[in-house]
Amino acid sequence: MNKVLISVLGSDQPGIMAAVTRVVQQRDGNIENLSQTLLGTVFGALLQVEVPANEDTDALQQAIETACEGMNLFIRVHAWNEKPSQWHEHPLEVQPYIITAIGPDRQGLVAEVTEKVFKHGVNITNMQAIFEGGRNPMANLMVFEVDVPRATVLNDLREELHEVADKLELEISVQHRRIFESVSNILN
Amino acid sequence: MLNQKDIISTLQMVREENLDLRTVTVGINLTDCVSDDIGRFKKNIYDKITRTAGQLVTTCQRIERRYGIEVANKRISISPIGVVAAPFSSADMVEIALTLDKAAQELGIDFIGGFSALVEKGMSQGDTALIDAIPQALTESQRVCASVNVASTRAGINMDAINRMGHVIKEAAELTAKDDGLAAAKLVVFANIPQDVPFMAGAYLGIGEADAVVSVGVSGPGVVKAALERMMREEGDVDLSRAADVIKQTAARLTRAGELVGREVARTLDLPFGIVDLSLAPTPNENDSVGEIFEAIGLPAIGSPGSTAFLAMLNDAVKKGGAFASSHVGGLSGAFIPVCEDLTIADSAKNGTLSLEKLEAMTAVCSVGLDMVALPGDTSAEMLSAVIADEMAIGVINKKTTAARLIPAPGKKAGDHVVFGGLLGEGPVMAVNMGTQENRFVRLGGRIPAPIQSLVN
Repeated sequence: MNKVLISVLGSDQPGIMAAVTRVVQQRDGNIENLSQTLLGTVFGALLQVEVPANEDTDALQQAIETACEGMNLFIRVHAWNEKPSQWHEHPLEVQPYIITAIGPDRQGLVAEVTEKVFKHGVNITNMQAIFEGGRNPMANLMVFEVDVPRATVLNDLREELHEVADKLELEISVQHRRIFESVSNILN
Repeated sequence: MLNQKDIISTLQMVREENLDLRTVTVGINLTDCVSDDIGRFKKNIYDKITRTAGQLVTTCQRIERRYGIEVANKRISISPIGVVAAPFSSADMVEIALTLDKAAQELGIDFIGGFSALVEKGMSQGDTALIDAIPQALTESQRVCASVNVASTRAGINMDAINRMGHVIKEAAELTAKDDGLAAAKLVVFANIPQDVPFMAGAYLGIGEADAVVSVGVSGPGVVKAALERMMREEGDVDLSRAADVIKQTAARLTRAGELVGREVARTLDLPFGIVDLSLAPTPNENDSVGEIFEAIGLPAIGSPGSTAFLAMLNDAVKKGGAFASSHVGGLSGAFIPVCEDLTIADSAKNGTLSLEKLEAMTAVCSVGLDMVALPGDTSAEMLSAVIADEMAIGVINKKTTAARLIPAPGKKAGDHVVFGGLLGEGPVMAVNMGTQENRFVRLGGRIPAPIQSLVN
């Protein structure tokens, strides 16, 4: 058995997952894991699939494209050797933090923040943008969920992020994830 | 993944609305320090306090950095000195207070509470010595806070003790006349004092408590005000049931944040965690005022008719939210209405919306009592005792804590302004409706018997 990664991007509509997974099933593949997300009206899905040894990635991609004809989707199938990166192979002891940037959308915001985060050895586990426009600062929010290794000096990272904040006229805060969890999950 | 609403509501609490941990208070039991030698006793308490809480300030600072939430004050509460220093004279008691002050300074904390006596039924020799020492002790020390419990629902009201306290308060204020009677601002007279309050000036460590314990006081009147304002703005058609709900939920969230940080401090110090006290405790800053909550809900000002009803609802909702969020809620847990520590309440007192009488009525439904109330300098000791007796009666009959922190500001008249500085704030001198300075009722002394617990009508 081999592994492949399938990515599907395009305009959200009913039937995308039904078409893709039906092809996988017909070709004796097994879905091991998947995630889908919506960015406004844009659809994105990532599937990790086990396929028979004789399966050809190009043929699989073509079969899915045929099944999705008329849906206007970008579909890719990649062979995948399952080798995790160094980060995941030798996990460090980390603390989960939430970085938030509050203020109007600025060009370069994500690049600046992610650069600093990378520089300090921090890994991003999730990102989301809440841009509703208007004057309420809380309606323009960029959220980075990150894992901070023990070796990172949090104050140095904070300081550099505050420099970014000053430059882009934003407010950036770095807080432990546990604060958000304990305040929000009262029924547990 | 966290959902957007949770991220935003937490951020709002911390960022816009003055959520901080008002105090992390380490309770330290001093019963194992007893000695009949004053030198040895002083050394024992100094060593135990500085040893147990040596890492308090640095630990809090580290946890502040981790969570991005400020721990505004780091404090110590100790076993009542009237008990553990029972053999000593009044002059020795002053020395003990100075030792405590030195320990507090060494640790870099702002207040140490527990220069206290529990005399609701009678005064022992140690209690008498301690009470006699209070004016001098609070004048010469900076960081020591004193409290005296003079009444309880089980024991009744010790009017002899209240009589004595009128004089003690008067003397403390006069000794610090150049600071508007500052020493009296560090002294609280209680009915039904809780054993585990982390807030000052009333904090002490009860006899039934552990050897050392970490408790936290969470505040956040600004968060409650902002939540009510947001509710009004976003939901439009709301009634008081909904408002009570919003306060309750906000209180629960505040309590969770406090307990998280408190437990982490306790773990790092390797001490047991005691309680969270969620109390709306104002500071003399904008957006950190209990009075502003009254305006946010639609009252003209704190003190106007309707204030007692709203305060009752507020206090109850805060307690319900806190009790739901944490299994170990203690201390006072409610709303404080300290006049000089709250800008809006001080304003209401100044322009006459809030009188001493209305304040007293409100204390029947709030969590403390006549707190940080400056009175005219010529108020007699007897009158102070009478005001205290009224306040204690409210607590004893209603089975709740009440307290009186009264400052007869030397040389000041009703309407004058007094300044205590820092967290103790500033405000107007309130008028006492007394006619004459004499009060034969108070002078009779003795004890007012404990109230009946049935026939509750």
